[in-house]
Amino acid sequence: MCASVKYNIRGPALIPRMKTKHRLYYITLFSVVLLGLIATGVFQFWPHSIESSSDWAVEKRSIHDVPVVKLPADSPIPERGDLSCRMHTCFDVYRCGFNPKNKIKVYIYSLKKYVDDFEVPVSNTISREYNELLTAISDSDFYTDDINRACLFVPSIDVLNQKTLRIKETAQALAQLSRWDRGTNQLLFNMLPGEPPDYNTALDVPRDRALLAGGGFSTWTYRQGYDVSIPVYSSLSAEVDLPERGPGPRRYFLLSSQMALHPEYRSELEALQAKHGESVLVLEKCTNLSEGVLSTRKRCHKDQVFDYPQILQEASFCVVLRGARLGQAALSDVLQAGCVPVIIADSYILPFSEVLDWKRASVVIPEEKMREMYSVLRSIPQRQIEEMQRQARWFWEAYFQSMKSIALATLQIINDRIYPYAAISYEEWNDPPAVKWSSVSNPLFLPLIPPQSQGFTAVVLTYDRVESLFRVITEVSKVPSLSKLLVVWNNQNKNPPEDSLWPKIRVPLKVVRTAENKLSNRFFPYAEIETEAVLAIDDDIIMLTADELQFGYEVWREFPDRLVGYPGRLHLWDHEMSKWKYESEWTNEVSMVLTGVAFYHKYFNYLYTYKMPGDIKNWVDAHMNCEDIAMNFLVANVTGKAVIKVTPRKKFKCPECTAIDGLSLDQTHMVERSECINKFASVFGTMPLKVVEHRADPVLYKDDFPEKLKSFPNIGSL
Amino acid sequence: MQSRRRKYLWLILSASWLLLILLAAPRLRQLAIPPSLRPKTLTSWPRWLDQELLLSFVGPEELSKDPCPPSCSTHQWRNQRLGCLMETCFDTSRCQSQGFKVFVYPTGLTQPISKVHHKVLASIEGSRYHTANPEEACLFVLPGDALGPQLLPLWNGGQNHLIFHLHPGSWPDLGFDPGQAMVARASPTPETFRLGFDVSLPLFPQSYPQRGGSQSQLTHLIPTPGEDLLAFEGQLDMWVTGSYNQRDQNAILIPSDRHGETSKGHRDGPCKQDQTTEQSEDQKRLYNSTFCFIPPNCRLGSFHLLQALKAGCIPVVLSRGWELPFSEVIDWGTAAIIIDERHLYQIKSVLQGLPPARVLALRQQTQFLWDAYFSSVEKIVYTTLEIVRDRIFRAASRPRLLWNAPPGGLLALPTFSTHLGDFPFYYLRHGSRPSGRFSALIWVGSLDQPPVKLIQEVAGSQHCAQILVLWSNDSPPPAQGKWPQTTVPLTVIEGRKKKSDRFFPYSAISTDAILSLDAHSALSTSEVNFAFVVWQSFPERIVGFQTRSHFWDETKGSWGYTDQRPNEFSVVLTAAAFYHRYYHNLFTHSLPAPLRDLVDELSACEDILMNFLVAEVTKLPPIKVPQRKQLQEVLSPQHPRAEQQLKNCINRFASWFGRMPLVHSQLRLDPVLFKDQVSVLRKKYRHLERL
Repeated sequence: MCASVKYNIRGPALIPRMKTKHRLYYITLFSVVLLGLIATGVFQFWPHSIESSSDWAVEKRSIHDVPVVKLPADSPIPERGDLSCRMHTCFDVYRCGFNPKNKIKVYIYSLKKYVDDFEVPVSNTISREYNELLTAISDSDFYTDDINRACLFVPSIDVLNQKTLRIKETAQALAQLSRWDRGTNQLLFNMLPGEPPDYNTALDVPRDRALLAGGGFSTWTYRQGYDVSIPVYSSLSAEVDLPERGPGPRRYFLLSSQMALHPEYRSELEALQAKHGESVLVLEKCTNLSEGVLSTRKRCHKDQVFDYPQILQEASFCVVLRGARLGQAALSDVLQAGCVPVIIADSYILPFSEVLDWKRASVVIPEEKMREMYSVLRSIPQRQIEEMQRQARWFWEAYFQSMKSIALATLQIINDRIYPYAAISYEEWNDPPAVKWSSVSNPLFLPLIPPQSQGFTAVVLTYDRVESLFRVITEVSKVPSLSKLLVVWNNQNKNPPEDSLWPKIRVPLKVVRTAENKLSNRFFPYAEIETEAVLAIDDDIIMLTADELQFGYEVWREFPDRLVGYPGRLHLWDHEMSKWKYESEWTNEVSMVLTGVAFYHKYFNYLYTYKMPGDIKNWVDAHMNCEDIAMNFLVANVTGKAVIKVTPRKKFKCPECTAIDGLSLDQTHMVERSECINKFASVFGTMPLKVVEHRADPVLYKDDFPEKLKSFPNIGSL
Repeated sequence: MQSRRRKYLWLILSASWLLLILLAAPRLRQLAIPPSLRPKTLTSWPRWLDQELLLSFVGPEELSKDPCPPSCSTHQWRNQRLGCLMETCFDTSRCQSQGFKVFVYPTGLTQPISKVHHKVLASIEGSRYHTANPEEACLFVLPGDALGPQLLPLWNGGQNHLIFHLHPGSWPDLGFDPGQAMVARASPTPETFRLGFDVSLPLFPQSYPQRGGSQSQLTHLIPTPGEDLLAFEGQLDMWVTGSYNQRDQNAILIPSDRHGETSKGHRDGPCKQDQTTEQSEDQKRLYNSTFCFIPPNCRLGSFHLLQALKAGCIPVVLSRGWELPFSEVIDWGTAAIIIDERHLYQIKSVLQGLPPARVLALRQQTQFLWDAYFSSVEKIVYTTLEIVRDRIFRAASRPRLLWNAPPGGLLALPTFSTHLGDFPFYYLRHGSRPSGRFSALIWVGSLDQPPVKLIQEVAGSQHCAQILVLWSNDSPPPAQGKWPQTTVPLTVIEGRKKKSDRFFPYSAISTDAILSLDAHSALSTSEVNFAFVVWQSFPERIVGFQTRSHFWDETKGSWGYTDQRPNEFSVVLTAAAFYHRYYHNLFTHSLPAPLRDLVDELSACEDILMNFLVAEVTKLPPIKVPQRKQLQEVLSPQHPRAEQQLKNCINRFASWFGRMPLVHSQLRLDPVLFKDQVSVLRKKYRHLERL
């Protein structure tokens, strides 16, 4: 058109010349869009504080701005702590309710500054540590800001150190908290209880039914199962970076580093030092330090000056004696240094003793037996000392290191009491990561030989080889201990043969049809399997005799937590290629058995189907191979035990090749199997398979003994 | 052309609109939803602007100075006597010289005592703890619980005394002040229980077996499909009424009182004596349920607990501050479902929500606990004593795992070690393995020549660390020069010429594995090698060559012992066998002296006793490995008298153990290529095949 030519000469035009009507229309449209964009932008990037505060989660305020609350002198005081309180008497579990996560909800009262009638503060508003503790709770899964949904309430009134507060007024402050309710479900944290001269071992502030997480309980003040014993936090945890020290002998055997020891104790320790010489070191406060040196970070012995806490790392055992209080911050330093604490404080309830096994990390010596301490410690073997050192360090890392770890451990303990059936296990609390990683807890740990009468269920995986399948069924049905036969029909395109065509056998025969042709179907925990023992068998395994299968079952009964199979295989490390290799040759060792025919406990079906790590299950189904290798990995990993190969080797018709029909044991197959091993080893993060050099035969196998008198004569014959 | 431009324009326009909508939509949506329905963000604890300036809760100087007032001196503090603790009420110095010895007051001192107490006392008297001399005793046990103890000559305020308070039915109150004596009783309440001082017992009936007791009854580790979810038996306390239809898995318990407030009133009332529970008809129902409800009423709950454990039924315990039996050492959370009684309504969903792996573990743990600590009076008493022992010798007490994993605290002796890796049972848990060498311990009895051939064959094994010869012959051991030259150290120990000597824990044994040998055993290096490699896979069992079998002789109504049943075996002869050195400790220190004396008197019973002991610990049969030569002729007892002696032994051991621990096996572990149709050159243990 002519117009366009004209404009082209003038160059590109943004707004085409049109009829005025149209132009107006377009301009209006554009301005609306532009306006909308601007409005949205403004909306988006405007400071949020003008909106409702719900979106602005973290407040930034000064501590001096907290509201001040005046406590009248006659405001109520809670009762003294009730020593008979237990969870079932003083704690209201209805507030916690029942929830699928089994997690309690914790509310923190907002911070206030309490003053008396004369405007004198009741205490320091909040200490650095208590602020850290409350921040940690607030950041945790336990936290809720909804007072109505909370089950546990943490006052923001700081009672960590009894010395810094006024007892009566603090109690009054507690009593006026909005959900105080006689202290029910209130949790107080206190690390330094008592005052001179008596030093009570629990916080003296009247607190009625409130739970106390205290750092210095004795047997008489600690309400077992109600209070929580916590450590006394040591600021050195944060100030000093002590890298974990590896195992090996240390310079001193026994070390004492506390400064304010009772003279009686000190003389006992010095007597030890005099008797045992170099290996014992008793340090004390330095008297002649130059100006500017922190006296808390130095210790002295005669003229020698040592750095504290570094010196603790030089000792195998470190004495932690009671001072005026039972709980000592030195315990934290000692643990941090990986020194085994020797705790001498009769009646002291050790931190988190409800869940932590202190026997693994410390030695407790009665005060009366201080003199015998040295010989007791000497009787501990070096291996055990090293484990205790590792354990001590782990306790510090997990439960002492920061106010956060102390707070979370405390809440978890209370959580475990309220939902005991969902409580964290002993191992989770106590095993250091290295142990968790290397130790195996067999899920079938009970040494129990299942009764023979129970029998086993044979699970035959088949696709469409009916003739061969029927032969397998007939053969297997001759085994005396067979109690049921389950055929897993893995072919969706073809119906299984009619009922009348199946071989008639003496045990129930069930056919399960699957939804998809997957190899994993073989290991599905079918409800039809009632026996503990399962015999997985391919539809082409017809070369095993009834004697061999029955014997296999007998062997399984003796090793119910293992895979008991016939053809054995081995994994090898290929040094040239630096990877694992699959081996099916005649070797002197076995590490796997093929599940083309193998007995195993039905629990492993559940594990295979629901607990297989990573994407192994999908890999198996996608490659239509290696389900047996996966099962071998799974069982070996969870039990830490090797397979049992039964009876001599036979010329099997390559039972592992059924999935890739037609291919015999050729190179591709071996490569693929090797690939599986490498893949699985990387998913498991380790090589769980165990290599053994034995197989199981009947007692009289090949012995010079009349064949007809043997229980299993028909073994190994072809 | 025009239309193309228009298209272009429209494109821009729609793009702008799209942008607008995308940007504005969330905002608009937010405006549209009323604030109350909006998902909330948590208001968290504020981050103070000046938090860097906050002061520490304690000054650095203050902590380390911590002034110690005179009151923290030991003696003053001790006098507080607020309540009993091991440190304050127990005199451990009594236990230092003689170890943990228990004295039982003669029963004649008091009025007739109950049947249960008789069993308790008999258990102690027949044990390794017992001493007849009060001078060397560390612990004194009262013959009953109903006498005035002030009459006892050594009462001393109750110090170092233990009272078994077993009277069923009555509210647990002793008729006297126990003072500083420890009280072991069933289901104590928190008010009466002195933590770390008293012992919580299970309640068991008069008819409870003295020793042995029925073995675990569980056959299915995994609940079978037809199994009930929860069962309870016996009358429930008033506060929980309602019915539980055992066939209907959806049924739950319906408490009459939702808040359980009235339960408080019942708690302090006396428990009615329920004799019917002793002979329960409903026992079968327990076997067919996954969980068993343990009624929280008084002490009977404790009795139900035992029944459930025996049946392998996972106890569901409503906690009311109930101190569960032996809770000081047993981790009940791994064997029972403990639930707050106020969460009663949730029992069903809690139980159904448990993952199968947990149910499996709980079920096995019930069986383990039953068998380890509860199946007989003897076990209950020994567990009580061992708990006290652990408190006295704290530094050498069992770690928690030893109490809570098979074979249990009674069979894992802390006097041997407190380190997991030293025992044969915990290698997997500990993540370690037995040491890769063994010590050969050769018993020389009738020979007066060194068994040169045997020593050479054994020393030829690359796994052999040392050879110890236990010279138990009347003639003195041959001179140094008469012994063969070996690459490994050879030590001659002169024994006391007793049979039980061969199982003595000699400090010279430096390896985990022991190869126990008789001087006339004939073994080849390759047999030794293979057997040792097998043992490394089964370090808790005996691995040997020659086997025997026990059987029940119907005609005589007693146990028989034979080598004529070669298709199976339950005993491996220790004339040539590998086992863990821990069993030497167990043999010498856990068996009572009379049993060892019996072994010393008779000729060939030490094999049987060792096999009994290991089978009692492992619940598994020994392992047989192949041997070239049949030594049957040499070793088997020919005389009928010897045979009679063996029979006598096995029956006496069975009665002492309270049951027959031996288990049969039908298999032998051979090398993988044993007698296979393949070139002998490929076989690692080819010498095993030459006949």
